[in-house]
Amino acid sequence: MKLWSISLRNLRIRLVATVLTMASIIVATALYAAILVMAEQTEQRYKGSVGGYQAVVGPKDASQLELVLNTIFNVGEAPGLFPLQVCMDLRSGVGVSRRGQVRYAVPQARGDSVSRFNFPVIATLDEMFSKYEWQKAPLVFAAGGPFQFGWDDLMAFATELAAHENGKRAGEVPLPPRPLLKKEWCKAVVGARVARTLGLQLGAVVTPVHGKMGEFGFHEHPEAACEIVGILAPTNSPLDTTIFLPLSTHLLIDGHEAGVFVVEIPPGKTPDDAKKLPVKPGQIALTAIIVDPKDHFGARILRNDFGTRPDAQVAWPQDVVPKFLRQIGNAADALAVIAWLVLLVAAVSITVAIYNTMNERRREIAIMRSLGATRLQILVIIVGEAALLSFFGALLGLLTCHGAACLLQATVEDMTGVYLDWLTFRPWEAWLLLGVTGLGAIAGLLPAVKGSMTEVADNLAADY
Amino acid sequence: MIQPMIQPVIQPVVPPMIQLRDVRKSYSRGTESVLACAVDRLDIAAGEQVALIGRSGTGKTTVLHILAGILRPDQGSIEAVGRRLDQMSESARDRHRGRHIGMVYQTFNLLQPFTALENVLLGALFGRGAGSDSRARAEALLQQVGLGDRMHHRPRELSVGQVQRVAICRALVNDPELILMDEPLGNQDRATGGQVLDALLQLATRGKKTVVMVTHDPESAKRMQRTVDLATLRGATPVVAAAGGSS
Ligand SMILES: Nc1ncnc2c1ncn2[C@@H]1O[C@H](COP(=O)(O)OP(=O)(O)OP(=O)(O)O)[C@@H](O)[C@H]1O
Ligand SMILES: [Mg+2]
Repeated sequence: MKLWSISLRNLRIRLVATVLTMASIIVATALYAAILVMAEQTEQRYKGSVGGYQAVVGPKDASQLELVLNTIFNVGEAPGLFPLQVCMDLRSGVGVSRRGQVRYAVPQARGDSVSRFNFPVIATLDEMFSKYEWQKAPLVFAAGGPFQFGWDDLMAFATELAAHENGKRAGEVPLPPRPLLKKEWCKAVVGARVARTLGLQLGAVVTPVHGKMGEFGFHEHPEAACEIVGILAPTNSPLDTTIFLPLSTHLLIDGHEAGVFVVEIPPGKTPDDAKKLPVKPGQIALTAIIVDPKDHFGARILRNDFGTRPDAQVAWPQDVVPKFLRQIGNAADALAVIAWLVLLVAAVSITVAIYNTMNERRREIAIMRSLGATRLQILVIIVGEAALLSFFGALLGLLTCHGAACLLQATVEDMTGVYLDWLTFRPWEAWLLLGVTGLGAIAGLLPAVKGSMTEVADNLAADY
Repeated sequence: MIQPMIQPVIQPVVPPMIQLRDVRKSYSRGTESVLACAVDRLDIAAGEQVALIGRSGTGKTTVLHILAGILRPDQGSIEAVGRRLDQMSESARDRHRGRHIGMVYQTFNLLQPFTALENVLLGALFGRGAGSDSRARAEALLQQVGLGDRMHHRPRELSVGQVQRVAICRALVNDPELILMDEPLGNQDRATGGQVLDALLQLATRGKKTVVMVTHDPESAKRMQRTVDLATLRGATPVVAAAGGSS
């Protein structure tokens, strides 16, 4: 027999009250832990992933946060389209690139997803694997290598596609041929988690789908079935969940209702009129360009350049993301305050629950005193009850949190791009456990003091 | 005002286990004051087995509580098992009681949620401490009183006589020098009560333990070495509570 086993027994004989009180501790702890996990994983996800002067160019009317979250973190839908001309300018010696201040400018078009897991598809150039840098290093392949589709290929392709489109619009006969979907373009590079989740290996085939499964307009593009030529090494970043295709493949897939060209509607014309206007290769629609200015100076020039551009804007992850994290942090703080209040209420409920048993326990306490128990030992037993109750409550709360993370993992990742790692236990969880146990012990102090004040001689006799 | 009464006291050859001098304990109810017990002088030698008798309400239970250190008298000196209880702090008295004094009550006062064995172990826990040998000792004691097959039963699952034996085991588990019993056999029929008492006294004699037993039963009192009537210890003080009913 130990003092704590007496505490445990006292909890067990009042099982209903114990379970009910514990439930409030479980809820409070789980809530608190969930908030911490979300805040922590969000920060982990977003903080380490931005560095250098990397910038994202996107459509003018989009919000910078939306642009960055979508381009770098695969959150939500692409906020809009803008013309390829922007990228051509960046690369061809106009404005910023004139001074050789841009190390790379990789165009991207986000398109249809692949598979029911809704892994985003990014159509881009092979420069994504040779020039683009993730945390100051090029992407590493776990198997295979990049597909072949460079800037010059894109330019030739764009010219051909524009000629075909113009012919169609003008009703030319013979119609200039539509570029063929070449076999070497039907290649894909996938992120580590895409490969793992879908069980893909080199040589496997992925078929892009349009829309979301179960929704209206959902269809497959079997003509664009792509062979996997490269699997990226895991980065524990959104890259892991991305599928990369050559831009040409994306542009040749049917079903782009708005067309693959960005056409400004001139004043006084209707959208239908605009469909008749001739197009240039530079009007091919992109969703983003990832730009890397060499240094602070280059970043300044880039900022100035885009300050006046009517068709595109530049967003800076290293500005936008910390601001975003601060907002999340503030929200997490507010939620944490609520969690603390819930925890406090739970603690008070412990105090009340145990305090209410003190009257019926006077005799039992007197008996223990008559056996030689000191007031302090009585105090320890009752505080121990409160502490044990809180300890188990907190433990179950943490397990609840991990269980919930496991269940909601897919949904949360879909909605926020945050990957909930439910299996890892973090050091602060031990502290939370300790803290809640301590709080419970404090909650037990009041009834414990009352219990330890129990008069021995008067309470030893049986009740008449 | 108190005239010490000269009593024929057996000069103790062995050191005294209990010495009470001029002990008074009273309770006040508003303006009224009730003298619960008054003992001018009481000496009990180590190894003695004493029956404490007296009419209801004369303060027998109160005296036992004072001897155990549960109650602190308004005045007087108390020595029990070699310590001056009146000069000790409450927690020191608690520890002293746990180690050196075993108590058995009329209502037995077992803890309901605990099994027979656990009740005995609780005595050990608050007494000499919960060492590994305490369990073996508790089991041996329960075997001795014939409860080997009832160790894991709760008090409600035991007969009154069995509960009583558990209570006695609990009092003995710390091997105390002094055993205080408050009408421990009140609920028993004569024969069984006599048997349990005999068994206990045998254990006590063998262990050279001092026993003070409050009893109303002349038969039980006869089995003890000496009988002390509380009324005779009261000196010249008028018997305030003599008319009282049950305590
Ligand atoms: N807490 C108390 N408050 C007031 N009076 C008390 C209290 N405890 C005991 N008394 C009184 O002190 C007197 C002695 O009580 P005590 O219980 O010692 O008697 P007793 O000799 O054991 O009686 P019985 O043989 O009936 O058990 C009684 O008159 C009782 O009413
Ligand atoms: Mg009594």
